[in-house]
Amino acid sequence: MNRYLSQYRENEEHILGWGFIVLFLLAWELTPHLVALPKGLALFFTTPYHIALKLFDMVTSGEVAFHFYVSGSEFVIGLGLSILVALPLGLVMGRFYTLNAMFDPFVTAFNATPRLVFLPLVVLWFGFGIWSTVVIVFIGALFPLLINTYEGVKNVDRVLVNVVRSFGANEWQLMKIVVLPNSMPYIIAGLRLAIGRAILGVVVGEFFGSDQGVGFLMAEAAGNYIVDVVFAGLILFMGISLVMTMAVKKLEDRLSRWRPEQVKTF
Amino acid sequence: MRFGVLSERSVRFLLGAGAVTGFFLVWEFLLTFVFTFNPFFITKPSLMWDATGDLILSGELWKDLYISGTPFVFGFAAAVVVGIPLGVVMGWRRRVAFALDPFLTALYASPLVALAPLLIVMFGVGIKGKTILIFLLAVFPFIFNAFAGVRSVDTLLINVVRSLGGKERDLYFKVILPSTLPYIVAGARIAIGRGIVGIIVGEFYAASEGIGHALIWFGDMYQLGHMFVCILVLMIVAVIFTVGLRKAELAIAPWRTQETR
Amino acid sequence: MEPYIRSTDITLTFTPKNRDPVTALKDFRIELNSGEFVSIVGPSGCGKSTFLNVLLGLLKPDMGEMEIGGKKITGPGVERAMVFQEFGLLPWRTVMANVELGPELKGESVASRRPRAQELINLVGLTGFEGHFPHELSGGMKQRVGLARALATDPEVLLMDEPFAALDAQTRDLMQAELLQIWDKHKKTVLFVTHSIEEAAYLSDRVIVMTARPGKTKRIIKINLPRPRGYEMRLSPEFNDIKLDIWNTLKDELNPRE
Repeated sequence: MNRYLSQYRENEEHILGWGFIVLFLLAWELTPHLVALPKGLALFFTTPYHIALKLFDMVTSGEVAFHFYVSGSEFVIGLGLSILVALPLGLVMGRFYTLNAMFDPFVTAFNATPRLVFLPLVVLWFGFGIWSTVVIVFIGALFPLLINTYEGVKNVDRVLVNVVRSFGANEWQLMKIVVLPNSMPYIIAGLRLAIGRAILGVVVGEFFGSDQGVGFLMAEAAGNYIVDVVFAGLILFMGISLVMTMAVKKLEDRLSRWRPEQVKTF
Repeated sequence: MRFGVLSERSVRFLLGAGAVTGFFLVWEFLLTFVFTFNPFFITKPSLMWDATGDLILSGELWKDLYISGTPFVFGFAAAVVVGIPLGVVMGWRRRVAFALDPFLTALYASPLVALAPLLIVMFGVGIKGKTILIFLLAVFPFIFNAFAGVRSVDTLLINVVRSLGGKERDLYFKVILPSTLPYIVAGARIAIGRGIVGIIVGEFYAASEGIGHALIWFGDMYQLGHMFVCILVLMIVAVIFTVGLRKAELAIAPWRTQETR
Repeated sequence: MEPYIRSTDITLTFTPKNRDPVTALKDFRIELNSGEFVSIVGPSGCGKSTFLNVLLGLLKPDMGEMEIGGKKITGPGVERAMVFQEFGLLPWRTVMANVELGPELKGESVASRRPRAQELINLVGLTGFEGHFPHELSGGMKQRVGLARALATDPEVLLMDEPFAALDAQTRDLMQAELLQIWDKHKKTVLFVTHSIEEAAYLSDRVIVMTARPGKTKRIIKINLPRPRGYEMRLSPEFNDIKLDIWNTLKDELNPRE
């Protein structure tokens, strides 16, 4: 008995965490068996079992592969573009005061506003399809990266700048040896936010502005009240989101070997 | 940096205001004198100005904002009322956090906006569906930030207050609340954005009124002047809330400036 | 003999953000002989560190100029190296990579800079810590890295800006003794800024006492104590007399609110 108890103590966090999820799924599964749902609701009700079956079916039949490929491409292109734009722009904004003061109102406004607001306009300009979603992903991911890069550059340690300059470093060496490494943790934190926003961008972009991709699949299913597919899509996105977050965490760990343990995540 | 007699703040403000004004002027100039103007593709600031007058004088703008604002207020209030206590309990009781954290993290990570059509179908296109959607999107930042806030409470401070004869009440009001509040305000800032997403998704999907509906409708009608004004209004609303909450954050906790960013 | 470093009267004024200009240095003048160990003591904010930054070539004075070995100082140069108060180690670089910074920026290849860096790491007693990151080191070890890094470009002059101020008292004593040994062996010219009267008296050939802001020289005190100086010397009456002399010169300049 005691041995089990101590084993439980050791793994309490995981047992409780998984336990709750299992319990939740079970309760959901059993609901239609225990309660008589009102007719309107019963029509749209599904259970985890059906969702899992549908997801399995969609994956094995290859139905989802094409849409997944589309969504993935939009994500990669949009995020890639935002990195290409945000890093140089953030570096420049962090180094030049006037430029930063001029850009600031635009950055604040676009960062505060949900990207969705621009969607009708983006669809008008880029047409119904992949590119509208790419643009939405791009706008969404751009600002967290831009702001964090800029903050990282601005918060560079004055002492370190002096140290490196005292050894006769030029502006470019200063950038490479101090400014960029110093901004790295900020950039990674920005990347983490950007990934979340990019995934959201894929969903809303495809929901309202595309005729392909997993988000479109969900929107179409929702329009036809095929609830299983909506939830299956949700789970797919959830999975991607978790995988990407873990990947960034790995990257962060790799790049921050030099930092003391307690400040690694912020 | 210093320019003559102006303080740094006013220089910053002037540069920003100048850049925004310049942006609109260049926009107007380019479409009037340089490029051929295609009203089905883009609009001009002068036309937006006319559209603003139209929307305000006809009362449409206020009506749409009111229609969209109501579910926003309800959903947001519900998110506060549910999210903060839940987060505080998770921060205070280790086992509750163990049980709920993975589940809620998974939900937070999934694009719940995608449930919009289902919610609209189940609860209707009116206030109810939108309120639930906004609540669902806005509640998570409150939960997680209240959670992080309570966990950030320095145990040393708790011991200090206890050792000086503080009671349970004092702990809550003198230590836990001041440490947690900035986190919650920061959470509110995130929740605002998500709440606005909720409104717009709800209204994109199925609605006959509200600012999100107006946005789509003017787009479909190719009334781009009106459409741009709607976008601008939403941007201004978002900025007012975000900047306001940032100011509140600084006012509540002037000792911490950057951390919650 | 011509002094190795000398300056005309240096004046330097700052304009901090949103505040009135501050004159950090006013007609400050200095002469240093080659191989000499000179300390500057003075009240907080008297411009000691500012002066080091001018000498290092990071700040340009409004008036006056400085010469080193007969050449005018216009910017940073390899004959000068600074040891910083806050260590100034690049946190993302290992001990070895930090020590190699100067030679690397000069464009030296790894093959030529590595053995020298290793030698210096050994000299400051950090053998075995080459691959450690700064956050894994104690304060004393960090400043040893700072010292090794400054020596790596083989400068003629070591500028030290309160290098031991952040260390605890015992580590500080130890570092002072080691610094004297290294100085003795490598024959560098050292300009050492400090708050500590004891430290200045123990290390230096001459101590320059500065006035409160705007800083200028109040008095130069020659320390005629025999070298090598051991710990016992610090307990001698002569040493105490010197400390008292410095204190009496300095005390009128101190602001009780600082």
